[in-house]
Amino acid sequence: MYKTVDVHTIGRCLLVIGLALIFALGAIAPAHAQTPTPNQINAVARELWCPLCNGVRLDNCDLQACVQMREVIAEKLMAGESKEQIKAYFVQQYGDVVLGAPSSTGFNLVAWLLPVLIFLVAVGWLAFLVRTWTRRRAPIAVTSAAAGPSPAPPDAYLKRVDEELKQYE
Amino acid sequence: MTVTDIGYVAFVLALVLSLYGIVVSVLGARRGLPELIASGRNAVYVVGGLVLIAALTLWYALLNNQFQVEFVATHSERNLPALYKFAALWGGQAGSLTFWTLLLCGFAVAATWFFRNEQPSLRPYVNATLLGAIAFFVTVVLFAANPFEKLWRATNGQIISAVIPPAGATPFVPADGQGLNPQLQNYWMIVHPVMLYLGFVGLTVPFAFAVAALITGQLGNTWVKLIRKWTLIPWLFLGIGIIMGSQWAYVELGWGGYWAWDPVENASLLPWLTATAFIHSIMIQERRGMLKVWNMVLIWLTWELTLFGTFLTRSGVIESVHSFALSPIGPMFAVFIIATLLAYLALLVWRLPLLQSDNQLDAVLSRETAFLSQNVIFVVIMLATLLGTMFRPISEWVTGNKISLNEPYFEQVNGPIFLVLLLIMGAAPLLAWHRSGPETLRRNFALPIAATLLAAALLYLFGMRNPAGIVGIAALVFVFAGIVQEYVRGVQARRHATGEPLLQALVNLVRRNGRRYGGYIVHVGVLMIALGIIGNEFFQSESQGNLQPGQTIQVANTVLTYRGLEASRGPNYIEYTARLDVQRGGRSVGQVLPKKHVYDKNPEQPMTEVGLMPGLIEDVYVVLAGFEGSGSTASFKVYINPLMSWLWIGEVFLVLGVLIATWPRRAPALVAASARLPTSAQPA
Repeated sequence: MYKTVDVHTIGRCLLVIGLALIFALGAIAPAHAQTPTPNQINAVARELWCPLCNGVRLDNCDLQACVQMREVIAEKLMAGESKEQIKAYFVQQYGDVVLGAPSSTGFNLVAWLLPVLIFLVAVGWLAFLVRTWTRRRAPIAVTSAAAGPSPAPPDAYLKRVDEELKQYE
Repeated sequence: MTVTDIGYVAFVLALVLSLYGIVVSVLGARRGLPELIASGRNAVYVVGGLVLIAALTLWYALLNNQFQVEFVATHSERNLPALYKFAALWGGQAGSLTFWTLLLCGFAVAATWFFRNEQPSLRPYVNATLLGAIAFFVTVVLFAANPFEKLWRATNGQIISAVIPPAGATPFVPADGQGLNPQLQNYWMIVHPVMLYLGFVGLTVPFAFAVAALITGQLGNTWVKLIRKWTLIPWLFLGIGIIMGSQWAYVELGWGGYWAWDPVENASLLPWLTATAFIHSIMIQERRGMLKVWNMVLIWLTWELTLFGTFLTRSGVIESVHSFALSPIGPMFAVFIIATLLAYLALLVWRLPLLQSDNQLDAVLSRETAFLSQNVIFVVIMLATLLGTMFRPISEWVTGNKISLNEPYFEQVNGPIFLVLLLIMGAAPLLAWHRSGPETLRRNFALPIAATLLAAALLYLFGMRNPAGIVGIAALVFVFAGIVQEYVRGVQARRHATGEPLLQALVNLVRRNGRRYGGYIVHVGVLMIALGIIGNEFFQSESQGNLQPGQTIQVANTVLTYRGLEASRGPNYIEYTARLDVQRGGRSVGQVLPKKHVYDKNPEQPMTEVGLMPGLIEDVYVVLAGFEGSGSTASFKVYINPLMSWLWIGEVFLVLGVLIATWPRRAPALVAASARLPTSAQPA
């Protein structure tokens, strides 16, 4: 999912190209040259996870490591990097652990495919069960003692409730 | 000598007596000796008393600052408020396992007493199973997580903890304790674990009845009827425990959410999922004599999952595969879980010939099929959640790389399955038992489907453009319309039959048939909870900003003005309170007071206390993220959480619905006269 090329280098290249463009174009101010607001940093941080705590999002982690990671985000935003570039950088630095969900490559595919498989097998099993049970049904099977109240005509809901109510009048 | 020594002796005696009770119960049942069975029953009472004494000694030590007791020294301090000293018992591993054992004994004693004159053939095996579970937990407490250990200074000057000191060691009494984990110093933490544990341990009672039914071969529907209430009540406790845990996370962790799908949370959800399937599928067994094997499997899974959750969260296995062997708790639980899994499996296979279904399905479109589908979906969610929880260590083990599975994973995997579940929940009450003809389908589904489409159209017209949000809320409307329709028809039918006025007809309908209509109220509670989840999930807005007094921050249509910061002294912490005025649509609506607590014993870990202005439409949720100087600049995170209150209101409806469904009644229930608790539990 994520490119394995050194995004850090790309980031630097982009910075250089960006600066060159600014010099070339003169008066045009770059959009990210100011310090990013906390909201801009959070927009990236909320898609990353603390590599040390279990299940804490980067925008909510108070660990020093995470404070520093947010500072890195700020720097990279200032350098004009996109959210995807910054995320790719952290994946490269810390591994998949900074993502909230496993990537869909290699062994991690199991985490994505197995639930689908479980669902399909369960639904298939259910369909098989219902089919065999309805087919094997003997026409008078419902007269067993455990069957509760005797079956009512299928379409007469109100009539049935009426009858049930009459049981204790 | 401290008072906890008495507790230790009581626990040793409890272990011996519970083993004795198992032996005499089984012997008495097999040889037909009522004296032995009675002795086994008395063993349950005495073991319960001994464990209570042990727990009381720990509470005494906690409340009286007996810091020589290692558990007290590491989980309390002099300045800790008394209520938290009391709750500190479940604030650490050893104490919480003791508390767990105490609650388990409470349920065992209650069940033993409740059934003292009933089911003579099942009873001894129920007692033996309950005592078996108690014996296991007592063993874990005595040999793996002992809260009765005391601190000693050995002859070489080293501080050690032991119940019986080595020769020459002298008592070591620290001047003060290390304090309770600040995260646990919150009112929800006093009550939430209690609820959760009551749910976990309570489910041992229906499991014990399943074991007894399998051993004795009394596999009719009796055991299912006996344990209906004994399952519903723990199920309710478990549900409340889970929601209260969410409330704690919401006000204490300060990330604007309430559920992070972390292993501890998942561990409590897993048995709840199978227990929910079980309380539905036993209705099929009661009415139709079907799904007997399935019910035996569900209660088995549920009970094993309560143990497995404890194993997961206490062995450290989830953090890393390598920490498994660090504490003996993990291996002890693993052995017990595997042993009970295999033993039950053997029992089940042995009794399979006796577990034949009395009936078959009449039609595909029937209440029975809907229940069966619901059951299967619950198990699918359980398996998916279990996989997600376990995948982290599995992946680490296979690939050597650490990954994380958090909210985004679980939401993508479980979100769609929960939607399917919601639709089944709406459809099931609209399908008739046995079969639903085309006329019934049209008659029952027309209104809910029309309401669903109308709701979706209205949401779109009023500007909602989030597809998942629209689908989710429309699905809620579908279920709700079905429930309302059931109530309206029931009341109509009753008025038609009796001529009662509207309100009286409604009250009598619910009173006379609490199982069905109480169940619907539980469903309404679930809808409210789902509404809160959808609101928070799809419509939350947030903003963060650094403010000086007088400056404002805006989120959605809410404007907050920072007024200043004050410091004050709490019992064992310094409290920093920020004051913000809240304006909505230009009108002042009040103040929020986000806080930071800096605890004396843990100054490096300041705790967040969220500033909250709850509302039926939306919560204003403010976190004091940090501040400089005496508050000349402060950083705030502001969340607007739509519909969150409905999560907590839904919790109240769950309680209400279960109370109605379990309330003892004189009149026979409408659904099935055979469904009552039999014999002396219900006066005729």
